[in-house]
Amino acid sequence: MSELPLAGVRVCDLTWVIAGPTATRILADFGAEVIRVEHGQAADPIRFGRPIAGERPTLNNSGFFNYFNRNKKSVLLNVRHPLGMEVLHRLIAVSDVVIENFSSGVLESWGLDYTAMRGINPGVIYCSISGFGHTGRDRHFTTWGPTAQALSGLTLMSGLPGKPPAGWGYSYLDHTAGYYAAIAVMMALHHRNRTGEGQAIDIAQVETGMVLTGPAVLDFTVNGRSWLREGMPPGNRAWEPRIAPHNTYPCAGEDRWVAVAVRSDAEWEAMRRAMGEPGWAADARFAANAGRLAHEDELDARIAEWTRERDAEAVMETLQAAGVPAGVCQTAGDRVERDPQLRARGWWTAMPHPELGESGFDGVAPRLSRTPGTNRTASPLMGEHTFEVMTGTLGMSAEEYAELEAMGVFM
Amino acid sequence: MSGPLTGLRVLELCGPMGQYAGKLLADMGADVVKVEPPDGGEARRVGPFVDDVPGPNRSLSFWYGNTNKRSVVLDFGEDGDRETWRRLVSAADIVIEDRRPGELDASGMGYRALGAANAGLIWCAITPFGQDGPWAAFAATDLVSLALGGAMMMNGYDPEDAPGAPPIRGHGDQGYATGCHYAVQGILAALLWRDRTGEGQFIDCSVHEAVSSTTEVALPYWFTQRVNVIRQTGRHAAASRTERWLQRAADGRWTLIFGVGRDNASWKRIKAWFQSKGFGGQFDEPRFDDPAARQPGRGSPEAAEIFAELERFIAAHPAEEVYRGGQERRQAWGVVRSPEENLADPHWEDRRFWVEVEGEGREGQPVRMPGAPYRFSATPWALRRPAPKLGEHTAEVLREWLGVET
Repeated sequence: MSELPLAGVRVCDLTWVIAGPTATRILADFGAEVIRVEHGQAADPIRFGRPIAGERPTLNNSGFFNYFNRNKKSVLLNVRHPLGMEVLHRLIAVSDVVIENFSSGVLESWGLDYTAMRGINPGVIYCSISGFGHTGRDRHFTTWGPTAQALSGLTLMSGLPGKPPAGWGYSYLDHTAGYYAAIAVMMALHHRNRTGEGQAIDIAQVETGMVLTGPAVLDFTVNGRSWLREGMPPGNRAWEPRIAPHNTYPCAGEDRWVAVAVRSDAEWEAMRRAMGEPGWAADARFAANAGRLAHEDELDARIAEWTRERDAEAVMETLQAAGVPAGVCQTAGDRVERDPQLRARGWWTAMPHPELGESGFDGVAPRLSRTPGTNRTASPLMGEHTFEVMTGTLGMSAEEYAELEAMGVFM
Repeated sequence: MSGPLTGLRVLELCGPMGQYAGKLLADMGADVVKVEPPDGGEARRVGPFVDDVPGPNRSLSFWYGNTNKRSVVLDFGEDGDRETWRRLVSAADIVIEDRRPGELDASGMGYRALGAANAGLIWCAITPFGQDGPWAAFAATDLVSLALGGAMMMNGYDPEDAPGAPPIRGHGDQGYATGCHYAVQGILAALLWRDRTGEGQFIDCSVHEAVSSTTEVALPYWFTQRVNVIRQTGRHAAASRTERWLQRAADGRWTLIFGVGRDNASWKRIKAWFQSKGFGGQFDEPRFDDPAARQPGRGSPEAAEIFAELERFIAAHPAEEVYRGGQERRQAWGVVRSPEENLADPHWEDRRFWVEVEGEGREGQPVRMPGAPYRFSATPWALRRPAPKLGEHTAEVLREWLGVET
């Protein structure tokens, strides 16, 4: 087995729900030792999150939790017990990174702001993900992914004109805030490798969405144009660059769609031939991009007539063979069971889990040639590694462990 | 104070798909040199443009995606410029490119030919589908990547809002951004390996895999129950229909209501607020005291009544007031804003989120755009220079990196 690029990095993982666990999933995939600190009295709600195996949630049978927490360890620690807090300090003392995604102010209320943490571990990297960050007048406001998506502008930028916002059908910004946190931690580790200096990182989830709207903001500050104007958002038609055809088209079967994006007149010509040179497509109005944009409704309706009779996969293959960007709107089932690209690249795997059986996982992106990230274990059971971490990592004697356990520290 | 990547030399050969990866490194201090063809290529042809006038230095998406970089023009049709590329690679710590698989190798300009001579080199290739496999040669745009990766099948409408509506793509090139987020994760993991061993490596970053790993509950539902989730207006796709989250306010704007009074303390605050405005008189009845009865999705009449009253309340108040009033009472509520509406929110002023740039057509007239996605206490994000003009730094970079006077 090849070595992992983050081997030797220890992460004290105080995160829960999705954004924080996404960040630590990435660090764990690349080989960091991620120790989830969990609390019996206030369990991560995702441990109850659907989908689950079986009828009732058990803390350990959530497929949702399993997906975001592979390759990690779990310890139970009662931080409301003074000795539990002391144990947490000992864990921080031997960790390279402490990461949390509580509302801003929570860790401070535990007596663990960055100054306090630095007192325990001078080189520590402390990364916090909150809704609005640790500064600013609304720092006590809270978010879940959908709240942050709505505020950032991303929800409004998704939808058909004249309809309510379609937004994002999942917490895109929980993923994305987690990505920025993983990136930030790795940058800080590089800096620490060079200088020995740790630091604090403050991530506001709403801002991780706002940075993904840059050109739209500039269109307003430079040109005075807002996405609230008539005709916006443009559905699946192109915003910039303005090209046509550029849309999703219905295919044979129930709720089957193909996305097509024609970037140039040459690609249009290729598509026209791939469609079998139907008479309507020879119309001079469609020969150049400007004409296709001016007659986009008619163009889209004609293309839909062609796609509607065909399987989405067949449309994609036909157009791709002609060099035209096209892709099926794939479900999760399509991706796991049919997608020949993901299959050929060995993307899917399964790892055993006591309550979920052979549980499915995707691979580690991107692929590093010398030290690729790996899937090693499914998600940990609640507190599975408490004894191991206390006696191994923290060097407690079996007697001390038993004593603390009897006092209710590990619950 | 300077960024954590100060001192790293990065060579970027990227268009719209990969250039955000270069920005993420450049904004944290790396010396990112963007190599461009003489006409600037596709990245400079994507609008919107300053005053809607196209031009290589007037693309606002380019302004945003290329901050803190320098621009070197090389004509790969010329032997000399191909040789200059090879020498720049030999002087670089990191290369990021988004050409088709094998394209650079075919002309001896890729990792295969140049990697061996620079043992510490980290080379990240960003492609739509990866370096190999049956779709490796397929073409894609952001739309196509979001379709195949599974994001679109989760976004859309309830049938009553838009019967027969297609899956919807969220705008802003989010598929490209997701590919770049993963590319940078890989580059940094490789950099940490190099810190320890001095060894570089090749990174194969597939946008398809990155997007597919960014679909939250979709894969767990398939893995656990073999269920595909269904699209719903403005809220999470789910195995079966759930309560609406978007409610229209008095000013016609949309609020996003994510749960109401889940615990007794917050229910008390919400109840007092509603009643102070003449709503929810019936909430004093004891049947509303049970938190379980207040949760949607369980079919309780109390939950249905609360949401009906909430809808009336929101319809009578402006959206921002609902958002702020909810948040003051510890509810994770939001308002659906257009991106530029955040310019008027003083919280982002307090955090100095916005940065200002000038460029062609707006010389001496700085305009605002988004700044840092993270705050580092010791090595902060910084805007050191705006996106480069085409070829602005060719002579300067060849002198600094190669000691060549042009």
